[in-house]
Amino acid sequence: MRMPRLLGAYAGAFYAFLYVPIAVMVVLSFNDSEIMGFPLKGFSLRWYGEAFAANELLGALFNSFAVGIFASIIATALALMIALGLRHRVPFREAVLPVVLIPIITPGIVSGVLLYVSFGVVGLPYGLSTAVLAAHVTWVLPFAFLTLYPRLHRFDRSIEEAAMDLGATPWVVFRRVVLPLIRPAIIATVLFSFTLSFDEFIRTLFVVGSQRTTPVYLWLLIAEQMATFLPAVGVVIMLISVVVAGIGFWVSGRAARLAARVEN
Amino acid sequence: MVPGLLWLAVFAVVPLGFLAVVSLWKASAFGLSTDASLDSYRILTNDPVYARVLWQTLRIALVTTLLSLVISYPLAMFLARLKGQHKTLAVLLVFLPFCTSYVVRTFVWLPMLGRAGVVNQALIGLGIIDRPIDWLLYSEGTVYVGLVYVYTLYMTLPIYLSLDRLDPKLVEAAGDLGATPLQAFRRVVLPLSMPGVWSGCIMVFLLSCGAYVTPQLLGGTSGQMIGNVIAAQFLHTNNWPLGAALSIVLVAVVIGFVFVAGRRLGMQELFMGERR
Repeated sequence: MRMPRLLGAYAGAFYAFLYVPIAVMVVLSFNDSEIMGFPLKGFSLRWYGEAFAANELLGALFNSFAVGIFASIIATALALMIALGLRHRVPFREAVLPVVLIPIITPGIVSGVLLYVSFGVVGLPYGLSTAVLAAHVTWVLPFAFLTLYPRLHRFDRSIEEAAMDLGATPWVVFRRVVLPLIRPAIIATVLFSFTLSFDEFIRTLFVVGSQRTTPVYLWLLIAEQMATFLPAVGVVIMLISVVVAGIGFWVSGRAARLAARVEN
Repeated sequence: MVPGLLWLAVFAVVPLGFLAVVSLWKASAFGLSTDASLDSYRILTNDPVYARVLWQTLRIALVTTLLSLVISYPLAMFLARLKGQHKTLAVLLVFLPFCTSYVVRTFVWLPMLGRAGVVNQALIGLGIIDRPIDWLLYSEGTVYVGLVYVYTLYMTLPIYLSLDRLDPKLVEAAGDLGATPLQAFRRVVLPLSMPGVWSGCIMVFLLSCGAYVTPQLLGGTSGQMIGNVIAAQFLHTNNWPLGAALSIVLVAVVIGFVFVAGRRLGMQELFMGERR
């Protein structure tokens, strides 16, 4: 089909809508001016210097990385177990998907206060390694499932059956046959899960206690003081997410090609 | 699969029960009383403030959904028509901004729409206005801009997927049978893309209903949503029962919508873009 010129022009406008605000943030992060805005006063790296001079940013980045790594691995493992289980005849098979989707359906603000209230009522401590990790795994799990399940679903069962016929135990079949085939999909899922956790805010804010993740740090910075180094912090956060997600896309592209080769 | 489901039971289902229980507690000047009472729900029905903010939330979510649909559909058509590497690149470019935190993606509108922001300075530079316009920020309109900006991918993506699966021969056949391009769109393309449209609408509506960051940062006093009122009960007034009751009401509304949509379309289709 030929691309109508109007549609092309519209797409240009759409991409401008997506990227102009981001470009403005990047430009302002280098702007040598005391106010966060225009006119531009020349190039400067001082906002990046100031952003990192306060140790809070580095601490928050470290916390976000730690929670992201643990949450993405735990969530991917749990999602993989559900996705693998769904390939067999199990009781209440139809009810599994709605249950997995609960964290997505629950409105963001409600998810935020859910664990705050629950941990409070039970008397468990708030913080990164407790409530935040629990909240992140719960939030990421459905997305990990939705990325993994189609890969496993399309997977040719006859390869596994052949291995079983040759005397492999279920564990050996998983380790030697299933896992190598879905490894790229698993790696991509872990990476996407990491960016979801790294960027998570509303489910973190209430239960983080006195600790800080990067989005919470940015939020408090915006709310408490309109610091002029805000754009610089925004650029740093954005760069990390985009790089990790970029690797994720690359790996998942390879995973798709690998799957296509196996299926043919 | 048991560990995964057990995790969800403990951290997603049981907490909803806790929330329901707390909504039946009583807040007083001396703290919380755990005697069962419908006080919080009585406050919700008696004080018109809460009905108004719920109504405003649903209205904002609905308008955001419609705006996203209108701006996403043509883009999805554009993406579906591209081929090869152009297509991969164009889809990736739509995805990339959404990989980063919505706190950042909401924040970017402050230097866009503020008094010293791009829009005001550009209009002053062009001589269209001589003083910055104040209502660009902190109004209901700003919330629409922010929410559409943050959530429109969830609309673009499912529509794109359903258009991408559509066999172009169908459109050609319609043309061969004498349909004008507009007729072919209305009678062939649009009906076949409806699963994607519904899926996108539900996602954007759900996400907008639970919004907190966007109205808090961009909404000012006139663009407040139920998320801000709920958060205030926990962060400022410390009225857990009222916050819990508001949350339960919001969850009930949202589950109602998903249930109706799920009955019509099927969960699988709604969230995984798969046809039954």
